[in-house]
Amino acid sequence: MTERARVVVRIALRNVRRQARRSLLTASAMVLGIALLMFVRALEAGGHVMYVESAVRMGTGHVSLEHPEYAATRDLVDRIPAEYLELATEAISAATTPDELRAVFPRVTVGGLVQSASSSIPASVSGVDPAREAPISFLRESIVEGRFLEPGDRLEAIVGVGVAERLRVEPGSRLVLMAEDIEGEIESQLVLVTGIFRTGIPEVDRGVVQLPLETAREWLALGEDATSLSAVLTSDRRTGEIARDVRARLEREGVEPGAVAVRPWWEAMPDLHAGLQADTVQTYIMLLILLAIVALAVVNSVLMAVLNRTREFGVLRSLGLNRRSVGGMVIVEGSVLALLSGIAGMGLGLAVAFGVFRDGVDISFALGDGELAFAGAIVDPVIQPVLQTGDAIAIFLIVVAIGVLASLYPAWHATRIEPAEAMKTDD
Amino acid sequence: MSSTSGSPSTPSPAVEARGDGSAPPSVRTEDLWKTYGEGETAVHAVQRVSITIERGEFVVLSGPSGSGKTTLVNLIGGLTDPSRGKVWVAGEEVGAMSERARARMRLEHIGFVFQAFNLLPVLSALENAEFPLMLRGVDRDTRRAAVRELFEEIGLGGLEDRRPGALSGGQQQRVAVARAVLGAPALVLADEPTANLDTSASDALLGVMELLNQERHVTFIFCTHDPFVMRRARRIIRLVDGHVERDAEKEPGDLPSWVLEPVGT
Repeated sequence: MTERARVVVRIALRNVRRQARRSLLTASAMVLGIALLMFVRALEAGGHVMYVESAVRMGTGHVSLEHPEYAATRDLVDRIPAEYLELATEAISAATTPDELRAVFPRVTVGGLVQSASSSIPASVSGVDPAREAPISFLRESIVEGRFLEPGDRLEAIVGVGVAERLRVEPGSRLVLMAEDIEGEIESQLVLVTGIFRTGIPEVDRGVVQLPLETAREWLALGEDATSLSAVLTSDRRTGEIARDVRARLEREGVEPGAVAVRPWWEAMPDLHAGLQADTVQTYIMLLILLAIVALAVVNSVLMAVLNRTREFGVLRSLGLNRRSVGGMVIVEGSVLALLSGIAGMGLGLAVAFGVFRDGVDISFALGDGELAFAGAIVDPVIQPVLQTGDAIAIFLIVVAIGVLASLYPAWHATRIEPAEAMKTDD
Repeated sequence: MSSTSGSPSTPSPAVEARGDGSAPPSVRTEDLWKTYGEGETAVHAVQRVSITIERGEFVVLSGPSGSGKTTLVNLIGGLTDPSRGKVWVAGEEVGAMSERARARMRLEHIGFVFQAFNLLPVLSALENAEFPLMLRGVDRDTRRAAVRELFEEIGLGGLEDRRPGALSGGQQQRVAVARAVLGAPALVLADEPTANLDTSASDALLGVMELLNQERHVTFIFCTHDPFVMRRARRIIRLVDGHVERDAEKEPGDLPSWVLEPVGT
């Protein structure tokens, strides 16, 4: 650094300190703004993690494998053959480390009719493997009466609370499930209600029935085939990478993409993905407004500092400091203010998000009955803030950049000061 | 040494050179005007000023308040642009310089002393005085030694670390003078430098300036009403309503009666 640059920086730093009250007020606005940005982003990230977690545990998984047409046709013709299921399971194991794979499970899902002694309703009927799904099943945690399916069960089934109410059944009641089998024949299956679940998602509670996978396969003459294979991971961080890896491995094994589609959750659940993106856009708009306020605070403070020191700038110019150095001095002042505020704001934001609200933020006061679902995912009224390091760094850099940018106008103004005129002013 | 009024007919180059190879005048102005406002409301703060001040002169610009002294000094220092006419400092035309070159000229060739001290409040007395030297890139030890030596001479010893707010008016003005003369610029422009000083402080300051003038041929141009300063000058240029009413050399110690006469007598 040249001697000139050193003296310019020294004067700038001392000016920040000299105008302590103004600096502190500006810094306070910035610190609060940044802290709020950090907190809101941490809360939003926490909410999104929760939505995704609950949605993937409903059965889709972080990575979902289906026949490409199955989502549209819901026809058992569009299923995954047993040999592909085996290859896909191996591919998932190979693409993940044991630590990041929580569960891999096949399912058989059909649309059918559920009949009780008193009534019948349409429902989505899934054959699930209780042993493989128990560790991650969201329905298992949502049982309000009876129990979840267990290994060894044959004719047991669990139903949503809405299904139970509409069919007037309770644990121990009999139900008849009817659906087309693989040949297109309508087949019936008698089951006993063993548990009733309440998820809070209306379409799940009113229209989902689960029974053991093997019973479903026999009922629908599916052999060892399934309609889907899902992988639930410990973190969403590598979902896309793992999906690509599994897809590549299956292709190398000769499984054509036309036979099995490997999708990350955002492709398998586009509604949820779109909902989360819309939520993110809303948050960004709010963040932009906050950043604009922060920028105005800096412009105001630095411009006032310049206007109040018109004579001083005139003196500096008359002593031989060129316009560029005068402008640089003002930018240094704004940047230092932004930098210090950025650090303090980050600290406050982290303290609020992970200190004051370390046990989560309870938003139940804002949620009425029946509003606990979001695009097919469960909303836990207690949101745990999640720190996204990239976000934190981005917010910090953006705020510092704003400090520099917001100083540009006052700096330009300072460079326009004419020494002779400036020294006529009283300050 | 020479003085003229009116517009010379000779061409005016951006860089002056003399046929005999001697140094160009410290300051030359040619039909210099500074006008504020337009039409009937126009005010000519400086008009028709053509003067030449050679290197090493000790000149006072006198005249009543509002006669254009400060404006003329600002024009010479390149702090404001003339409405008409030209200014040369050390042979270079100020109006032809880029903004950056003008800043460099002020830094390297001109020292300013302002009536209102104009010290930087965030710097100590020592830092204020060494400011131009810092900008010039003079190393710390050299410039600090020079400041301390001069501070001792002008009675500021021991006050180096004080901020301007903790100094008296006289002390602040001495710091401002130290800032202007340190590094021995070719030209010092001083606007009422003794206005806030007592006689002994004025005497000490003028002593320093005279020493620089005699030993290093630094040119001094003072704007002042102070007879004490006028007495020590060797040339007095009296301005009235922006133009040169009288320009005369004198012996140091003398105070011509016309200097103090009211305008129009």
